[in-house]
Amino acid sequence: MSRKIFIIAIVLFAATACAAKKTPVAPTPTPSAAAVAYPQQITTSAGLVTIPKKPERIISLSATATQMVFAVGAGRQVVAVDQYSTYPTNAPRTKLSGFQPNIEAITGYRPDLVLIESDQGGLVKSMNALHVPVLVLPAAKDLSGTYDQINELGRVTSHVDGAQRLVSNMRHEIAQIVTSVPKASNLSIYHELDQTYYTATSATFIGQIYKMFGLTDIADKAGLTKNSGYPQLSSEYIVSADPQLIVLADTVCCKQTKASVAARPGWSKIAAVQHDEVIPVDDSLASQWGPRIVDYVRLVAGVVTHAESVYKAT
Amino acid sequence: MTGVELVDVGVSYGERRVLHGISARVGAGEWLAVLGPNGSGKTTALRAVCGLVDFDGDVIVGTTSIRTMHKRVLARSVALLPQHPTAPVGMRVSTYVLLGRTPHLSYFAQETDKDRAVAERVLDRLGIGALAERDVSSLSGGERQLTMLARALAQEPSILILDEPTSALDIGHQQDVMEVIDDLRRNDGIAVISAMHDLTAASQFAANIVMLSRGHVVASGHVGSVLTEERIKEHFGASVRIVQDGAGVVVIPVRTNGNGSTGAAR
Amino acid sequence: MTDEAAARVASHRLRARWLVVALAMLALAMAAGMLFGAKSLPPSDVLRSLVGSSSHGKQPLDAVIVRSIRLPRVLLAGLVGGVLALAGAAYQGVFANPLADPYLLGAASGAEVGATIAIAYAPAAWSVNSVPVAAFLGSIAAVAAAVVLGRSVRAGRSTTVLILAGVAIAAFLTAVETYVQQQHQAAIRLIYSFILGRLGTAGWSGLKLVLPYALVAAIVILLHRRHLDVLSLGDDEAASLGIRVARVRLILVAAATLATAAAVAIAGTIAFVGIIVPHTIRLITGGSYRTILPLSIIVGAAFLILADLVARTAVAPAELPIGVITALIGAPFFVVLLRRSRVVAQ
Repeated sequence: MSRKIFIIAIVLFAATACAAKKTPVAPTPTPSAAAVAYPQQITTSAGLVTIPKKPERIISLSATATQMVFAVGAGRQVVAVDQYSTYPTNAPRTKLSGFQPNIEAITGYRPDLVLIESDQGGLVKSMNALHVPVLVLPAAKDLSGTYDQINELGRVTSHVDGAQRLVSNMRHEIAQIVTSVPKASNLSIYHELDQTYYTATSATFIGQIYKMFGLTDIADKAGLTKNSGYPQLSSEYIVSADPQLIVLADTVCCKQTKASVAARPGWSKIAAVQHDEVIPVDDSLASQWGPRIVDYVRLVAGVVTHAESVYKAT
Repeated sequence: MTGVELVDVGVSYGERRVLHGISARVGAGEWLAVLGPNGSGKTTALRAVCGLVDFDGDVIVGTTSIRTMHKRVLARSVALLPQHPTAPVGMRVSTYVLLGRTPHLSYFAQETDKDRAVAERVLDRLGIGALAERDVSSLSGGERQLTMLARALAQEPSILILDEPTSALDIGHQQDVMEVIDDLRRNDGIAVISAMHDLTAASQFAANIVMLSRGHVVASGHVGSVLTEERIKEHFGASVRIVQDGAGVVVIPVRTNGNGSTGAAR
Repeated sequence: MTDEAAARVASHRLRARWLVVALAMLALAMAAGMLFGAKSLPPSDVLRSLVGSSSHGKQPLDAVIVRSIRLPRVLLAGLVGGVLALAGAAYQGVFANPLADPYLLGAASGAEVGATIAIAYAPAAWSVNSVPVAAFLGSIAAVAAAVVLGRSVRAGRSTTVLILAGVAIAAFLTAVETYVQQQHQAAIRLIYSFILGRLGTAGWSGLKLVLPYALVAAIVILLHRRHLDVLSLGDDEAASLGIRVARVRLILVAAATLATAAAVAIAGTIAFVGIIVPHTIRLITGGSYRTILPLSIIVGAAFLILADLVARTAVAPAELPIGVITALIGAPFFVVLLRRSRVVAQ
């Protein structure tokens, strides 16, 4: 008799737990936000993607997407992120790779939504065959592109208000930072992506950040919009362009430092090196254009302010 | 000029015994022909004399065992003309012949006028002075053989080892080359050891013969005593008729198609 | 002996006219390398920058470009080109094969694996300067492994066995390299830029690193130039002429590899120079290493200086990997060789 009661109690408990879990999935409007209806249809460059229900087991294979998802408040819906998603630190990092997605490993987590930066290894096809939606979120072309992606993720994960708040915060902060800094009068900048002198012109996302502060990108001078804004320069060109600021976005991948830059043949004569305006930054901070871009803008603001005073003095 | 003596020379390639203790002697100015069917060990025996292969027994050049000789010193006495010599592409004949002076040069030395004079003399002596600027790989068979011989002679050897010196030549060039070698033997006192398929030519030029079969010496001595119809039948499996011809013999192959020894009637 | 006769038997000697032609090529190449670049500078400025005094403090940037960027780069390209061509000629002689190149026994694979492992596993504290050292050691280790493997075989003194051992080692190392790269995707960019060529970034320090090895190798190989001619006769005949074939081969491989390892460690893997230059010289001047070796050094230097010039000006200010240029020249070269195959066939 007591055994039967015990079993019934267990069953009832389980049922209640399941019911409790189900509740958030029911499309009842949350008190403060617009209603998020499922299924959702999203038009992407790859075609129509259907999200059947609110995703509770999200896998993010893109560091930028990871940051965005957590920043809109959907962190609890994420079950796994790739090995390069180092931010935020409490994200469930795994050995998964966004460059070479291992389909079996991914499906092992039973995802109901996969986020990736570009479709590698036939991921979209494989996931579609398993009825798991994949959102491909390529690197944004500009800030408004970033805001769009954040809003999209907010809709998809049912955190519309979180997304809207994030976007307006970002807009506000960035605008504030930019106005707090006097427009840099024609200071020239060289943004280094790797030690073979790949750089970004002002037509790129990062180039536009610099443009906001009135900086001139030395890569523009040669009229380089080919290679989608990421041309390769040469030592001679850079030395003769004599940039006043150098940002090293290859401190992690390519182990570049202020010292290694100064040691390059001929570089010790560049203005930026002579005035100690060589700024090493973390590669990912400069290349992951999600919520952390605000931190980068703040960094650039500090750099510009300092440089202004240095160059005004000379 | 000195001679060479093989004392119980044996060679094994791994587990396989290729040469079973053969002995022979060639004095200065003598010609020894090494005959035998394919696979009998002729080339191996010649290579042993040059020190190119490990052997047991001994090879004595003059009075010295080649085991105690520095390779370069040996090369000043023994010159090898292999069966398939390499003709490096693009190398001039004159350069090629000059390489024969290698054993006379110390490790880092370059050729001197004396060496060039020797090479020049050899070219003239063999009558191929006109070929000096030719590419060795572009020569005809006869020209090539003489060039190879010139290189061997540039070594100024006492002993000349020839592995099938005429197999690739037409009958005219065969005679030329053999006469030239015989000339050297008589005038310079060079000891000649040659391995040959052409039994008749061997008998015409060599005074002594060693016949090998399966790595053993099965006969040795003067031409007449070694080359007999029974022996050739037994070791070569060939039917021949032997005819005396002056100092040598003529070996006439006989067709045995059942219609008599000449096979004339068909 | 008459003069005519002397001339006849001295054909292996390096003819003065070839030497003059080669040196002229080198001088022209060096001049072109200094005069042209991503930044166009008038020749008078270039000249002034070279001979002008180096005043401390403000130096016009043009002078910096000429003295600190172009000059060491041209010199390094020349040195690496000369080394690779010399090593290629030595390998061609040792293996009696006109298509041998300095990477035959795994020198390039070894350098790449060394660089890959250093980049992938080195702690962040190590500077980027540790990579060339790792590449150098990897290169030497690979060739040593090939030699040991080749000699461990019973018939192991033949060149065929040695080549096979080199192929085996290179294949194995390529697998290791690929595996490590896949495990460290983020480092791939750095690894590839290392492999594709770094003539532009090595500077004076790179030159200083390569020079001693290049000198040692050049001296050793040139001292053995007569031996290389003898080796071209094949193992048996060379031995019958009194040469200790295996030992000479080892010395030459060691010297050539030492210089190749240094060149690859600093400048990356540059293909085709080691085959094209010595072979072309052989086709033009005839088959003695007494001629081929010194000319290879000079012409190899000129060749790579010009290839590097094209690499850094064709798509200026961007740069093409120098391996692309040498390959673009190498491909038609092999077509020409094919059509002359009558000559190539041994």
